[in-house]
Amino acid sequence: MTVDTIIYTRELRKTFRVSRRRPGLLGGLRSLFNPIVDEVLAVDGVNISIARGEMVACLGPNGAGKSTTIKMLTGILVPSSGTAEVFGMQPHRQRRAVAQRMGVVFGQRTQLWWDLPLRDSFDLLRYIYRIPPRRFAHNMAIFADLLELGEFIDTPVRQLSLGQRMRGDLAAALLHDPEVLYLDEPTIGLDVVAKHRVRSFLQELNRERGVTVLLTTHDMSDVERLCSRLLIIDHGRLLYDGSLEAMRGHVDDEGTLEDTMREFYERTSRELLV
Amino acid sequence: MELFTLYWKLVGAQVRGQLQYRVSFVLTCLGSALLNFVEFAALALLFTRVPRIAGWSLWEVALLYALAETSFAAAEFVASALDDFQIRIGEGTFDRVLTRPLGAFFQVLAEDLALRRLGRVAQGVFVLAMALVHLSLVWTPQKLAMLAIALVSGVAIFFSIFVLAAVFCFWTVEGKEATHIFSYGGVTLVEYPLDIYSDWVRRFATFVLPLGFVSYYPTLFLLDRPDPLGLPDWMRVLSPLAALALAGVAWYGWRIGVRHYQSTGS
Amino acid sequence: MLGSLLLYAAVTRVAFRRQLAYRTANLAGLVTNAFFGLLRASLFIALFQASPQSTIGGYDLQAAATYTWVTQAMIMIVCLWGWWDIETTIRSGDVVTDLARPFSFLGYWLARDYGRAAYFALFRGVPGLIFGQLTFAGGLRWPSTPIDATMLLVSIVLAIAISFAWRFLLNVSAFWTTDARGLGAITGALVMFLGGFVVPLRFFPEWIQPLLLSLPFAGIIQVPSDIFVGRLTGAAALAALATQAMWAVCLLALGQVTVVFAVRRVSVQGG
Repeated sequence: MTVDTIIYTRELRKTFRVSRRRPGLLGGLRSLFNPIVDEVLAVDGVNISIARGEMVACLGPNGAGKSTTIKMLTGILVPSSGTAEVFGMQPHRQRRAVAQRMGVVFGQRTQLWWDLPLRDSFDLLRYIYRIPPRRFAHNMAIFADLLELGEFIDTPVRQLSLGQRMRGDLAAALLHDPEVLYLDEPTIGLDVVAKHRVRSFLQELNRERGVTVLLTTHDMSDVERLCSRLLIIDHGRLLYDGSLEAMRGHVDDEGTLEDTMREFYERTSRELLV
Repeated sequence: MELFTLYWKLVGAQVRGQLQYRVSFVLTCLGSALLNFVEFAALALLFTRVPRIAGWSLWEVALLYALAETSFAAAEFVASALDDFQIRIGEGTFDRVLTRPLGAFFQVLAEDLALRRLGRVAQGVFVLAMALVHLSLVWTPQKLAMLAIALVSGVAIFFSIFVLAAVFCFWTVEGKEATHIFSYGGVTLVEYPLDIYSDWVRRFATFVLPLGFVSYYPTLFLLDRPDPLGLPDWMRVLSPLAALALAGVAWYGWRIGVRHYQSTGS
Repeated sequence: MLGSLLLYAAVTRVAFRRQLAYRTANLAGLVTNAFFGLLRASLFIALFQASPQSTIGGYDLQAAATYTWVTQAMIMIVCLWGWWDIETTIRSGDVVTDLARPFSFLGYWLARDYGRAAYFALFRGVPGLIFGQLTFAGGLRWPSTPIDATMLLVSIVLAIAISFAWRFLLNVSAFWTTDARGLGAITGALVMFLGGFVVPLRFFPEWIQPLLLSLPFAGIIQVPSDIFVGRLTGAAALAALATQAMWAVCLLALGQVTVVFAVRRVSVQGG
């Protein structure tokens, strides 16, 4: 772990104990006292090291363990074993300190206040994150310009389109100058124009402010356009950690990125099974 | 008191929304006050038939009732946000709370304040005033202090019960209704003298879930009555202790609940 | 005609089955009923102990205790308050399709309510009463003759109709006001009190009782409960049943009239 490493995990593991109800009415009663418990290994010994200023994409099928890993990095979940460190701190131990320096955008759930105008959400966040007034005004001006928020900044969030809401969420996540930004499926459901806006914004952010970005996505063009580094997680394991070009080198480089990915999955899952 | 300002800012958003529907707010507020006043009216009716029940007169019971109601309603008001807690857990919006640099409980509590619940508070205060007027108590500084302490302790006791009910949601989504027995059932229980219930109920409400300290024991003190069941006189002023103990349990329960959430996810 | 009846019977059956899914909620509710039943029974026991006479308002202790348990059973059966199914469809606009259907809007919802009520009678009412029987020293006072039992059944059926009609009117007011629920909040307290749920109407001062007993609300809780505990028998019971029937018919008719107006409003406004 070098001085510059900002996100670090070592043998990160997460096991969920899921209780199943026994069938029938009597079974339901029995389940209260003696449930059937399945152990699900969601994350199985993941080792990641991300340096400050990197833009990393995290891919993998649904249920692969990507979200669980992110949740452990953001302090939502506690690891079953292994280490997760952000800014040299363990997120679940120093939750608030880590939270102050990170931003999160969940693609499907907004952090904005639903019934209030967008502007009010920003205002509330200013107090929650204790942002000095001048810094707040400065960031608001920049984001409003880059993300073109002016047209809808006074509209209640529930009336915004998905693209507008996503832009709002991005601004909201960055108002307090976080050093790390986690994005969970940020371009899902957006039209081409909106996707482009979001991507250029993220590039600008990374370039100008050195914000480290970790982004989970299913969208291959997100990966191609934004990220220099690729992490592939499947069945809780890190299958690949490197550049896009190098991955292409692993498979026959024909066809689109999609084809490349599919081939990669097939090849590595075969290797895993063997 | 930075947290305090932050609380008002966060809650303010919700509150302003409610006030927009002014007529609705007034109606539900009034409805709440009326609904609960009906309980007192029924009590008064019973006393038209007999002068005393279990040795208590109407206005003595009214004092019990008012202490219970006012404490409960105030706690219910402050704990408004906890009503929906099981929805928040189910939908996963609690995750967002954990990603912010603020205490989780503070954030959850600051999400709502149901103004209509003030109706019940007003009703409680009204009956309290009536009871005090009719009882013509001999006031001493200690009694005044006890009245204030009883109300504050009562609010704390009921608030802790609401917190514990919400903590329950960390483990099960369906159990919420069962906890109503302790909150809504609890307040109804201590609106009447504990004398009318069987032994184990009184013991439970004194030593296990200290509901008796919301209304019964403070009232005994204010009326200069010894406990008819033989408990020592100094027990009548233990309300703050009972409140602290239960609050401690609630606080601890919350921490365990959050830890459980962070282990198992939603 | 027969076709319609079969349809409504089917609607009732479906409504009954729908409720079966909420098993845990029902169990929790049952525990709540048991708790409050015990609480109020304790209060009445203390009341009677303090009274020099053995009867109050015409009830002896056993009748009064039975009364509390019966009312606990009845509140869920007649669903005294908090029912906004129709109002929800009005707010969402779904009601427009319901109104356009080829059968009676009122009849449909009435049939549904009987299904719901039957569920609560079986799975809340009966267990609650059994619990009361076991916990009250000496047991409860049950209807003693087949005639009493029959009158009880008729009374309950009518009580559900009156309660439904009242709730129907409250819900349908949403066609004209945005605040049907606020109205419900205010009147809810009144209905509970005047229905004899909190305290039997016969505990009120003598002079006001005839007025209270002639209101529709008395027919929702008070009358069936009184028949159950034997406070109303014979001719007096029949008279009470007649009053119930009259109110049921009047309020349902009023409900039907509002439906006509509602349809008119919807076609003018476009839903």
